Amino acid sequence: MSENLEYLSPAWRDEALKRLQSELTPEKMNKVTTSMSNIYKNCPKGVDMFLFVECKEGKITRVETGTGEPPKAEFLITGNYETFARISRAELGAQKALMTGKLKLKGNLAKALKLAAVSDRLNKVLAKIPANY
Amino acid sequence: MPRKLDPKDKYYIDNPGRVKAIQAEMHKRGIDVYLGSRIRTMSFVMDTFCPWRSYIIIPPEGQPTYFTFVVDALRIGDETWLDGDHVRAYGPMGGMDQISAITDYIKDEVGIKKGRIGYEDGISAYTAEGNLTHWEYTHFKDALPGFEWVNAHDIIDALSLIKDKGTIERFRTASLIVDEGHKAARAALENGGYNGMTETVIAGIAALAMRKAGSVSEWNFAGLNEISSGYRTGLGACTPPTTKEIKAGEPLMLDFHAMFKLALGDHSHNYLIGPATKRQRWHADNFVAIIQKVIDNYRAGTTPGTLAAIMMDYAESRGCGDFIQPACEHGIGLFGDEWRIGAVVNPDLPYWTDQDHVYQENEVVVCAMQYAAPEENIGFRYENDIVILKNGCEVMSKYPLGIEEIT
Repeated sequence: MSENLEYLSPAWRDEALKRLQSELTPEKMNKVTTSMSNIYKNCPKGVDMFLFVECKEGKITRVETGTGEPPKAEFLITGNYETFARISRAELGAQKALMTGKLKLKGNLAKALKLAAVSDRLNKVLAKIPANY
Repeated sequence: MPRKLDPKDKYYIDNPGRVKAIQAEMHKRGIDVYLGSRIRTMSFVMDTFCPWRSYIIIPPEGQPTYFTFVVDALRIGDETWLDGDHVRAYGPMGGMDQISAITDYIKDEVGIKKGRIGYEDGISAYTAEGNLTHWEYTHFKDALPGFEWVNAHDIIDALSLIKDKGTIERFRTASLIVDEGHKAARAALENGGYNGMTETVIAGIAALAMRKAGSVSEWNFAGLNEISSGYRTGLGACTPPTTKEIKAGEPLMLDFHAMFKLALGDHSHNYLIGPATKRQRWHADNFVAIIQKVIDNYRAGTTPGTLAAIMMDYAESRGCGDFIQPACEHGIGLFGDEWRIGAVVNPDLPYWTDQDHVYQENEVVVCAMQYAAPEENIGFRYENDIVILKNGCEVMSKYPLGIEEIT
């Protein structure tokens, strides 16, 4: 793929689902069942957006993007669009963004920590999608 | 995996029943959600050793949810009876600091946006009681603007007063573990073994013996094992041990603490390091006789004030009234609870023992007495877990009462 996709667009979403399903095996995802919604505040178009990812027994089953109310998820991560964009461009680590309060997590932290490595693997796949931010 | 509660276990505690009793009292008082922060509250509800700053949110019905510092959350999840969804953590992450994690939980997961919230405040003799700090209180309040805050610690205090069968069994075992500490200390001290030994070393010898016997802590919320020797015994109180060496001709006070399934074993025993003078022996014999007198008078229906009067009169009759301190007990419960007797906050002397508290069957208290002769550099302390019975009391440490001379 040479053309850059618009970050969080339907085309980017489809590419994300395809890559996550092909690159992350259930074993790599520790066969977890979980879901996560990222809430992007202050997006360039002036509206809040979300990225929802669902994983069942280690298999990525859904990736959704859009505006408005995100699907109900086990974890909710809220932050500025630019913060998420920096994470996707590998300019900022997700852990550091959380530890410095740039991102805010809602959900069971004890469970979230068990999923930190899995989340990291997922972010690394998403970061490789050529995108315009 | 959380621990399964087994009613057939001799140490069984009906924790879900405790939660329901708390919720029933919340309902009576119109409290919509309870935010516990004291160590004793965690022990009473969670039945797990919770040494880090923790919070428990008790909704009007259903399981409570516990929050602790993230480093310890997984261990607690393994040890408590609450399921994994109800053991949470806070930590240094956006949205996961103590204030955000807990207030978000109340608003979003308990689903209460306004109402009355019970919290815990007060004062105690030890630092780590766990009452809500001013900072916590003001920030929680700011984050939950629709709530009326009600100090409601007395709900837990009243419910934890009478001990159930499993709790009493735990205290029995904890007390026998303390006896192992005393046996080890006695063995180390005799035949001149005390020479060159410091208070801190004897505390460590006892701690090791108690740990081998099943104790998991010497109570890190209080003073660990407490030891005084020589002039330091003169105030009739033990303190955390020092590097003072134990010397011939001095009294020695050993107050050992064990913890078994959160029950706190607490037995103080005294020695005279020989050669003892006649005057030292006289003091020692007085103290042993006074202890026996008080133990003989514990029973349901009596009060701390009554027992103190009996004790003082008896001391006076033996000519040692000037040396006995006018109190003979302190409260005891699961880890974090070593404080006043009774659940009533006396407005004239708040958060100290209620001298008019009427003992009931199956209360567990520490029979605790102090004998102090500071001018003579001698004093003693006795402590022992006891359970109040209808017509007497059961003394739980079986280490023989007495003040021996060790050479």
